Amino acid sequence: MSGNSGGPWGGGGGNRGGSGGGNRPNGGGNNGGPERPQIPEIDDLVKKGQQQLKVLMGGRGGQGGNGGSGGGSGSGISGRGILLGVVVLAGLWAFASAYTVKPEERSVELLFGQEYRVGNPGLNFAPWPVVSAEIVQVTTERVTEVGTGRSGLDTGLMLTRDEAVVDIDFQVNWNITDPNNYLFNLADPANTVRAVAESAMRDIIARSELSPILNRDRETIADELLTAVQSTLDSYESGINVIRVNFDKADPPLEVIDSFREVQAARQERDRLERQADAYANRVLAGARGEAAQVQEQAEAYRAEVINLAEGEASRFVAVWSEYRNAPEVTRQRMYIETMERVLGGMDLTILDNVTGEGGSGVVPYLPLDSLRTQPRATQGGN
Amino acid sequence: MKRITLLIPVVVIAAAIALSSMFIVDERENALVLQFGQVKQVRSEPGLYFRIPFIQEIVRYDARILGLQTQPLEVTPEDDRRLVVDAFARWRIENVQQFRQAVGVEGIRAAQGRIERILNAAIRQVLGSVPSGAVLSEDRTGLMNQIRDVARRQARSLGVDVIDVRLTRTDLPQQNLAATYARMRAEREREAADEIARGNEAAQRVRALADRTVVELVSSATRDSEIIRGEADAERNRVCRGLWPRP
Repeated sequence: MSGNSGGPWGGGGGNRGGSGGGNRPNGGGNNGGPERPQIPEIDDLVKKGQQQLKVLMGGRGGQGGNGGSGGGSGSGISGRGILLGVVVLAGLWAFASAYTVKPEERSVELLFGQEYRVGNPGLNFAPWPVVSAEIVQVTTERVTEVGTGRSGLDTGLMLTRDEAVVDIDFQVNWNITDPNNYLFNLADPANTVRAVAESAMRDIIARSELSPILNRDRETIADELLTAVQSTLDSYESGINVIRVNFDKADPPLEVIDSFREVQAARQERDRLERQADAYANRVLAGARGEAAQVQEQAEAYRAEVINLAEGEASRFVAVWSEYRNAPEVTRQRMYIETMERVLGGMDLTILDNVTGEGGSGVVPYLPLDSLRTQPRATQGGN
Repeated sequence: MKRITLLIPVVVIAAAIALSSMFIVDERENALVLQFGQVKQVRSEPGLYFRIPFIQEIVRYDARILGLQTQPLEVTPEDDRRLVVDAFARWRIENVQQFRQAVGVEGIRAAQGRIERILNAAIRQVLGSVPSGAVLSEDRTGLMNQIRDVARRQARSLGVDVIDVRLTRTDLPQQNLAATYARMRAEREREAADEIARGNEAAQRVRALADRTVVELVSSATRDSEIIRGEADAERNRVCRGLWPRP
């Protein structure tokens, strides 16, 4: 590791020195000849660059111990070249040191590996190689899914307090509040969130019964889970903030889900039976109310009829009576004759006067038995 | 010019030596400086440090909280029912020197194996002393803390601090699952039958009440109608009788 961190310094210097001193002159010797007529300026530039690089290397070395010789040979070529080289190197250094932080990010700068400052969005400067920067996506929501069955173990099947099994899927959405803690305290934040969330959920499920989990307690479970996960992550000083918990699924396992559906069907069947009974009751009660009203109205009709008829007959009788009293004999005689006429008028009747007495007319009474037998049948048939 | 070309390798070598004598300890790590295998220095604070190149060797260890997920483990609680349990632990290297001495050159991977064995023993010990019902209850959190305390004591000799132990799965063994499912199905069937029976009960109740109300309504109407008819007949008699007193 120390070799690595030293690499950019020593190795970089070495490469630059090597390419300046060794490769370029060879290239210039082989290819420079034919190319010269076409682009002499570029070739000149290359040559100048080579010389300046050499001077620069000499110059850098000279700063340490041999300043006199470096300065002497450098002045022989040009002072401008040194300046150019310094500018180029400074530019490269600035380019390597500057970095941008996007709006959703923060950076943590380390001075010799020690936490030093937090970089806000915008252009930041971490002077290489003394300061290094780590960029962390802070505000971006990250999603950790549990129970979706990605791996064999993560089936989402959990045991409830009443020893039933429930299949639970949920997601934890989180972001980072403290990039320092996030970077320096947890080796594997994403897996930690997953493990903490799963453990907390299993803890909650193990403390509650099956049926509340399936229906009404979802909201409370999600809240409880969020609190549990957050407090555990806080105890690790993870710098993670749990935004929310999406409780996707809380179902019975596939093996028994049919019987749960049957319960649903039974509930609907119960509902259907009750509604059918209600329909029957409504129909029958309405019929009964109608019938009751009919009976009552018929009785009222009867009352009206009977009273009206009675009053009518009574007044008729009174009228007849008062006339009768004026002439009882005549009226009685007329009434007797009228009545006899009405009674006897329709009959097939023969009246013989004085048949058996003395001095009778000699008519023999004859009883036609056959017609007596047939006649009632004929009248019945006629009716 | 010749002097310069001679100078360049010298400078490069000098720079390489200077650089290899420096090392940076990151915020995320602890470092041990070993001299021929002997621990010379422990660098647990981040910063820039020096060493003697080629003689002293730097070994770095992660200083962050590390994770460990145990393999599923079948435990037998006090009431002899079996449970499949796995757990995860969060731990960190507390004492680098002790850690190195206890674990050796393999480092964190070897340590994880040993911590897992410690955890498994702790889980068996703690869960073996309680009935299985306690694992599925409010006591679960307390049990997790007990496991953590047991594991923490034993892991201390590795130079490791066990920060947290949490039970993940506490499930029934696969062969018991079928029985559990059968029981769940039977419970549901009972519930379904109950629903239908209650539906029938309610329906019958409603129908009976309706029939009773029908009879009550009709008979009450009939009674009223008979009263009315009686009143009507009485009225008729009164009207007719009213004729006779006249001379």
